[in-house]
Order: sequence, then structure tokens, then C-alpha cells
Amino acid sequence: MNETLHPQVAALLAQYRQELRDTLPSDSLDARIGRLVAGPAQESSRRRLPRLGHAAAWATAAGVMALAIGAGVLIGVRLERGTGPARLANQADTSPADFSLWPSDSVALQIPAEYSAQGKLVAVDPQTQTSGKRYWIDVVVSNDGTVRIDRIVPAEPARKDNEGIADGITLQTP
Amino acid sequence: MKKASDDTECMSRLAAGDASALRDLYERHGRALLRFSSAMCRSRQTAEDLVHDTFVAVLHGPRLFDPAQGTVFAYLCGVLRHRVSRHFRQQRRLVALAWDEEAESAVGHEPCPTDEIARSETSAVIRRAMLELPLQHREVIAFCDIEELSYQDVAAILDCPIGTVRSRLHRARALLTIRLASLELVDLAGEPPLAQQGLS
Repeated sequence: MNETLHPQVAALLAQYRQELRDTLPSDSLDARIGRLVAGPAQESSRRRLPRLGHAAAWATAAGVMALAIGAGVLIGVRLERGTGPARLANQADTSPADFSLWPSDSVALQIPAEYSAQGKLVAVDPQTQTSGKRYWIDVVVSNDGTVRIDRIVPAEPARKDNEGIADGITLQTP
Repeated sequence: MKKASDDTECMSRLAAGDASALRDLYERHGRALLRFSSAMCRSRQTAEDLVHDTFVAVLHGPRLFDPAQGTVFAYLCGVLRHRVSRHFRQQRRLVALAWDEEAESAVGHEPCPTDEIARSETSAVIRRAMLELPLQHREVIAFCDIEELSYQDVAAILDCPIGTVRSRLHRARALLTIRLASLELVDLAGEPPLAQQGLS
């Protein structure tokens, strides 16, 4: 094998070879190999841990989702009950004026009126008895707030008596 | 022969998941691998890192070993050789950020990393001369002249014909001889011309 090797080079290489053969792996390398050997057992235990961690994470996520769904259902039921008959009944007890300036539907009012001395038609108290001719002014209040006088008709004594209105104003549904 | 069969058994144990077989392989071949790695690399730390990487690779891929293609030691050397080759490829991609002559001269007074392995001055010189050789010439000298492996084993490690190992070794020795002669460690007076030694 040494047929092409110069004798002096061979001697130098032999010296270098001997020094290299005295070279020992460091403690650090030994320790790294030791960790490598021990690694698979640690690695397998590490592999199991993430699986457990994954299971716990999935369980937590499922629990949170179930809670969210339950809370959603509960809130829905509460809302449904809140807009149910009981609440509508409460709304019915409250005056519409509390909620809106204008009625949701048109309202017709009948206002008693008589001609004054100045020749103007003015509203009068229906309880007072006067000798003048009495009229009914039909006033319609629309749901958009507009007010218009629908008609003015002469009051008939029979009609006024039949209705027996205390304040002289009669609500009608148009 | 028994050693080779033991090595093969170790690889079988490794393949079966018995990591303690790696310790046996390391105790048998770790020093030889470290010698080769140290002969190839400038830094002792790098040499140990590459040996470690080799055993990591063997641990993770013991089934890659094919007893029909060679011994376990040849396989380990082949893995290490690839690690060394990859290390130097990566090193080529590194670019020095700045050239600082003062720092360079300061480094010159520090113990050179090569001296960690070569303790005598002569060995340090021959080590530097070897490290200046191209990688394929360096490795063939490391296998043939440092580890004193047979041509057949080296051919198995390098995955090339024996004739290639011979010619490569011849050229590598000639290059090393020229380098050592230039350092006046070898006297070439009376030697045949270098052209006749295979260098032209």
C-alpha cells in the first residue's frame, strides 16, 4: 500500500497517525451520545404527553363549545319568554302615549262645538247646556302626525244622549 | 469476523428499537470515526459534532444499512463522510463579513484549532498540509494512510472501484509530498520528477 508513499512522508504520517490515535472523544461527546441513547425512551414519553395534552385540549374545547351552545339556548329561551304573552299584556297596560308621540293607527275624534258671539266655531263643554246650535267636529289624527278636520255635522240631541260622553270627545276607528 | 457479526447484530437491535446498541457501536467505532473526522476538519469541535450527527443518523435510520453492501464500519464511515462533505459545502456558502488584519494577526498568536489535535509541531505542519488538500484527496489519505484500511474497504466506503481509490491515493500522496517539500519537511532531491509520480 505504501508503494507510492515517500519514506519521509510515510514517517510524518505515522507520527501524525499516532497522535490522532491518542485522541479520545471528549466527555462532551460521550455525554451527547449518552443522551442520544437515552433519547428514545424520553422521546416516547414526550410523545405520549402531547397526545394527552391534545386530548385535554379537545375535551376543553368541547366543554367550552357545549357551554356556549347552552348559554345560547338559554338566552334564546329568555328572549322568547320576554316577548311572550306576559310582556304583551304589560304593554297593553301602558298608555300608548308613553311609547310614541303618534298613534300607530289613525284616530278620529269628535269634538262638540258651537258658534260663538264672534261667529267662530269653538269647542264647548258638553256638560253645559246652551241655547246655541251644537255641531260635531270630526277630527282625524293620522299615524304620521297630521291632523285634519274630517267633517262638521250638526249634533243631534238623541245621538249625544245615546253616547253619554263625559268629556264630549268620542274616539272612533276610521 | 466476530466483530463484524456483532456490528450487524447491533444494527439489527437498533432497527428493533434497542437504542443501547448505539452505545455499543459508539464504543467500538467512535474513536476511529473521530480520528477520520479530525483528520478531515480543522476544528476538534466540528469533528465531534459530525461524529455525533453520524450516530444520530444511524439511530434514526438503522434500516438503511444493507449488510450485503459492506461492513457496519464502512457504513458508518460512509455516513460520516457525507456529513463531512455537507459540512464543507455549507462552509463554502459562508462569507466573511470583514477582513481585519489586526484580528488575523492576533489569531496567529493564539493556539490554532488544528493544534488541538496535533500536539507536536511536525504533526501540526503535516496536519495543515493535509487540510490544504482537496476533500477527495484528503479523505483517501485519511482512510488509507491514517486508518490504514484496505483498498477494498475504502472502495466500499467511497462507493467507487478499487482502481479509483488507487489512482486517487497516488495523486493525493503526490500532492501532500509536494506541499511538505515546500515546507522543507521532505527532501525530494534524487526523487523522480513529479510528472512521473502522476502529477502533471
